[in-house]
Amino acid sequence: MNNLRRLLRRESVFKVVFILAFAFGLMGGFFALFLDAFRFLSALGGASFMITRRLFSLFFLGLGVMLALSNIVTSYSTLFRSRETSFLLTSPVDIRSLVTYKYLESTLLSSWAFLFLIIPFTAAYTLHEELGLIFAFWTAAFSIPFVLLCGGLGTLIALLAVRWMPRGRLFRIGAIAAVVALTLRPLLDFRPVNLQDQPSFVLNRLLPGLQLASHPLAPNHWSAEGILLLSGGDFARGGMFWLTLVANTLVLALLIQWLGTRTFFPAWQRVAGEGGARRRPAELLGWLQPALRFLPHDIRGMILKDIRAFLRDPLQWSQALIFFGLLAIYFGSFRSFRYDALPDVWRNLIVFLNIFSVASVICSLASRFVFPQLSLEGHSFWILGLAPTGMRRILITKFLLAATAIILVSASLMGLATWMLQVGPALKAISIGLAVAISLAVSAMATGLGAIFLDLKQPNPVAIISGFGGTMNLALSLGLMLTSILPFGLLWHWHLQGRISDTVFVRGNLAAAAWLGILTLLATVIPLWLGARSLARREY
Amino acid sequence: MIHVQQLDKSFGAVHAVRNLSFDVPAGELFCFLGPNGAGKTTTIKMLTGLLRPDRGVIRIGGHDIAADPVAAKTIMGYIPDMPFLYEKLTPVEFLKFIADLYNLRDPATPRRIQESLLSFGLGEARSALIGDLSHGMRQRLLYIATFLHNPRVVFIDEPLIGLDPHSIRMIKDLLRQKVRGGMTILLTTHILALAEEIGDRIGIISNGTLIALGRMDELRRQAGVEGKLEDVFLKLTSEDTGTPTQGGARPMLSIPN
Repeated sequence: MNNLRRLLRRESVFKVVFILAFAFGLMGGFFALFLDAFRFLSALGGASFMITRRLFSLFFLGLGVMLALSNIVTSYSTLFRSRETSFLLTSPVDIRSLVTYKYLESTLLSSWAFLFLIIPFTAAYTLHEELGLIFAFWTAAFSIPFVLLCGGLGTLIALLAVRWMPRGRLFRIGAIAAVVALTLRPLLDFRPVNLQDQPSFVLNRLLPGLQLASHPLAPNHWSAEGILLLSGGDFARGGMFWLTLVANTLVLALLIQWLGTRTFFPAWQRVAGEGGARRRPAELLGWLQPALRFLPHDIRGMILKDIRAFLRDPLQWSQALIFFGLLAIYFGSFRSFRYDALPDVWRNLIVFLNIFSVASVICSLASRFVFPQLSLEGHSFWILGLAPTGMRRILITKFLLAATAIILVSASLMGLATWMLQVGPALKAISIGLAVAISLAVSAMATGLGAIFLDLKQPNPVAIISGFGGTMNLALSLGLMLTSILPFGLLWHWHLQGRISDTVFVRGNLAAAAWLGILTLLATVIPLWLGARSLARREY
Repeated sequence: MIHVQQLDKSFGAVHAVRNLSFDVPAGELFCFLGPNGAGKTTTIKMLTGLLRPDRGVIRIGGHDIAADPVAAKTIMGYIPDMPFLYEKLTPVEFLKFIADLYNLRDPATPRRIQESLLSFGLGEARSALIGDLSHGMRQRLLYIATFLHNPRVVFIDEPLIGLDPHSIRMIKDLLRQKVRGGMTILLTTHILALAEEIGDRIGIISNGTLIALGRMDELRRQAGVEGKLEDVFLKLTSEDTGTPTQGGARPMLSIPN
């Protein structure tokens, strides 16, 4: 509480209000989205009742998997790469306490997104199912052990992997290939959605996921069932589920302590000693240097440096991999829709919802990977500050690298999505145009705001993006996304509903395109200009 | 080669550098000395363009660092006391990055990089990550990086921190050789014996003000002390700060139990 009070005194009122408003706004947005989804499912009738009920279990499964994956990365970082660990190892703290502390710390760090999703989901579910406030209480009671259980799984995997995973080059290549293959597995199934391909109803496609979520041995099932039973007044069975969850969480905690006591120190030594022992080429991607000779030398040097640093930082690329894994699952789920059997208005709605989804991914990518890139120069920034290259040039280089990468990702994603949804050429061009424009603008905003809110003392990218600047960047990016897509979305929706004529529709699209161009230009130039000015005025 | 005129710099209420003026001609090794917090690092950071002075003019090789920073930076190098480098790069990658930043188009650059790594004893560490290198190895890597583009002016903040005796000898010889070749070097150090051994001229700064400047014999005359630089330095800085050095009781450092 004292820290919180100190923080509130130190930070400006505007900053605190802005972050709180954004946090509540985001949760409000999620709440509306979840509530709409429940109402949509109810409106379908039939099996939707069963789906809605089981969605709660599926939701816990999704969050649990993401939490465990995220905690593998966070545990590795807090247990083996943190300077605090080195300090604690020199102090009279026993390994058991150290591992327990780090397990709880990494779980806490990984679980903030869980809160952001579970609160609006629970609220929407409570309202839709008319369950009453007690439902929220039981959700909280189950969420705590559930988070500790999933986080614990991540910590356990990190401990075991660091201690015993072979370090040979072949193994590393094989492991990376396996992870990439698993991540991209859903891509192999991609094909345009077609009536003849899927004669069964959409539920058949959804059932495997729901069945997995409802497995009696799955902790997400215990949580979901327990919450629903306790909310319904069945204390005996609900209590049994809660005790099962708590007992398993405690056993896992004991396992982490037992295993940690035996494996942490050898594993830590292995990590600490691996740098000198590992054989690696003197240059990673050495072929890229001559391949980029068309670029000015200083720009080429900075681009190569950033790519190499990214590829060598497991915290960065593993999160990128999780990102793309989730995307692959999202695209895999397209096959579950009988899209072509839907009315035109619904099809159009799905296409624009997909544009919103891909644009949200672009905003998240820019916030997570582009915004902190200048701050991650850290104490080494003096090298750039001293080099005979202006700050404006450094900023433009960062922007160009980010924009190129994000445009490639977003245009490919949008191309793939529009192909799977069998979108016509005009809407396809609009979708891809929107993806490119939004990518360009959010890359510039993330680069410019990253320069304005530069934090060279913070080595943790997650902490950089969680600050005021990162939050503001995400809020502005989402705002830009909405103002870019909505004009097109409304025009196409109204046209299909017959509310506007063909002439108005065509002219409206031209006006929306002009608006998109102006918006993109302003959102690209202004943040970069402000960022360059801030960098030039700064002292290092 | 280095022209400093009426330089002032404050951090809030703290006046770090006051009205500092001096010149260093080409081919001179100038040692800049002072107690902790005297303003040495602030001065070097202003000379290299990393900090902006509140007032005053700095010219490096005739280029105003404020008006034409890129031209000034092209001919200068800087070795800070803490070698913060890109930890995820190997020494070879880092040196090629520096070569790109300084636009070194000479086809012989890769060969020079390999030769420099060998001569600085980093041949076997060429594939290691910089984050895994010792402080001394990083410092040596920084020397290679700084001299890679053949700067005309080099600023060094504490040149010998973390170096082993072999490296110290090597660095001292290197600095002398570079100065003989026409390079201008300004270094700060707390190792007074080093300044006495290799410095052509010495400047002493205390509380942000230059209190003495000249060759060793000139400093001795100014202080009225015959002997080593250590005695001269202690006399001059104690006069400025009022700390007793001879006769008076020195404060005892103790750690409470």
